[in-house]
Amino acid sequence: MLALSRNLIRHRELIWLLALKELKVRYKRSVLGFFWALLHPLLMMIVLTVVFSTVIRFPIDHYAVFLISALFPWIFFSQSLAYAVESVVLNGPLLKKVYVPRLVFPVAAVTANLINFLLSLGPLALLLFLLQFPFHTTWLYLPVPLLALVLFTLGFGFFFAAVNVFFRDMAHILQILLTVWFYFSPILYSIHLVPPAYRFWFRLNPMLYLLEGFRLTIYDGNAPPVWLVAISLLIGLAALMSGFFIFRHYDDAYAYYV
Amino acid sequence: MPTMSRSLAIAPKPRIRFRRVFHRFRLIHERPETLRELFASAFRARSRAQDFEALKGISFDVLEGETFGIIGRNGAGKSTILKLMAKVYKPTAGFVTIDGRVSALIDIGAGFHPELTGRENVFLTGALLGFSRREMRTRFDDILAFADIGEFIDTPVRQYSTGMYLRLAFAIEATMAADILLIDEILAVGDESFQRKCWERLRELQQKRWTIVIVSHDLSAIQQICDRVMLLDQGKILWLGEPARAIARYQNLLACTEAQTTTTV
Repeated sequence: MLALSRNLIRHRELIWLLALKELKVRYKRSVLGFFWALLHPLLMMIVLTVVFSTVIRFPIDHYAVFLISALFPWIFFSQSLAYAVESVVLNGPLLKKVYVPRLVFPVAAVTANLINFLLSLGPLALLLFLLQFPFHTTWLYLPVPLLALVLFTLGFGFFFAAVNVFFRDMAHILQILLTVWFYFSPILYSIHLVPPAYRFWFRLNPMLYLLEGFRLTIYDGNAPPVWLVAISLLIGLAALMSGFFIFRHYDDAYAYYV
Repeated sequence: MPTMSRSLAIAPKPRIRFRRVFHRFRLIHERPETLRELFASAFRARSRAQDFEALKGISFDVLEGETFGIIGRNGAGKSTILKLMAKVYKPTAGFVTIDGRVSALIDIGAGFHPELTGRENVFLTGALLGFSRREMRTRFDDILAFADIGEFIDTPVRQYSTGMYLRLAFAIEATMAADILLIDEILAVGDESFQRKCWERLRELQQKRWTIVIVSHDLSAIQQICDRVMLLDQGKILWLGEPARAIARYQNLLACTEAQTTTTV
């Protein structure tokens, strides 16, 4: 853990530049540029809202807000992983030639998506305003669930980036995994809609606790309870430590396999 | 007495030390192909591993301020040595110690991204090589002057000609304050005027007492610029010393193998 934070501090400029490069390259030659980062979740929100509040009719007020309070963080998570999984492999030609601390690549992938997420909070607030949804002061608690989610994402990012070097199918497996995970996480629905008999199994999903913090602060207007903060930070730290451990374990081998 | 203390004072210190360095590659078909194999190989000690020994216990020093050439046939282990110096690889056994900052001209512009402008790429490459933004800013004008690409610096590098691309990449490496410069065959690229410029720059760096390690097949260039030359063959040092003699032995070696192949054919 100490090694990780020391490395992050030492290479902060490099990570920042790589993250900016990622964003610049992603939007550089497109006309709408950064708006694509917003358009995609917005379109998803509209489609899902139409389906689940007018067609299927979930008994949830302000379904659009209910949805995006968990959907935006989920998109941050899944996009980060989609970038992180390829991050070491894509920089292979470079890694074979000069020494670059490998851990900067997954971290930069997550950082780029974090910047995207933070920038999308502004339009999100505007959207709530347009939907005439009351603005809760509990937004101020947002950094807490966000921190837990970022730790969690970094851990999984490290894990997938490392495994993908040796086993390229991982990028494809990740896609499937994310789809399944999306539907089994309380994003479209809430845990209360799950029949009590199955609830136990749904509670084993760490994503439940990580997303609940966002939903409480944005949608319910409640401060996240201490137990939830504690458990989500613990989940985040555990994921980060195990992911980083695995990434570190193979550190010397990447140059031969990329 | 005074002569002795003087000789001690100017005794050059080694910048790079190799001590009984072995480097072994695991051949690629040993790679785990399925998830099951991956986990199996992670827990099992190396099984049916087929290894290729690229370096077989070599020891040498590269001294401060010298220009050190490495020659040898393909597969002799030249690039492996450069990669060990650049810390891309770690030796399988033995020690490699590097004293000072390394700048590797191993593949020019490897860190460039085509969509970014020259300026953005300069800062990104600098960061990848471990230089801070402040250091890059102070050197930026020098880089720009050496690269000589004018206002193209703010154009995406995908629009650069090959020459411009190479000039910018070389300018970054040869301008940043390093102690050790590693060069792998780069001087064979670019047009004549660019090559001349590179050679001039190398002479300048030699005068600034940079430690330079060059791998090249261009024997006349090696002879001109190097202080010492190491001849490698099959992962071992055949000769280390005066450039002319190293090259003579290398040509001898080439002639012998050629004669062998002709007789077998």
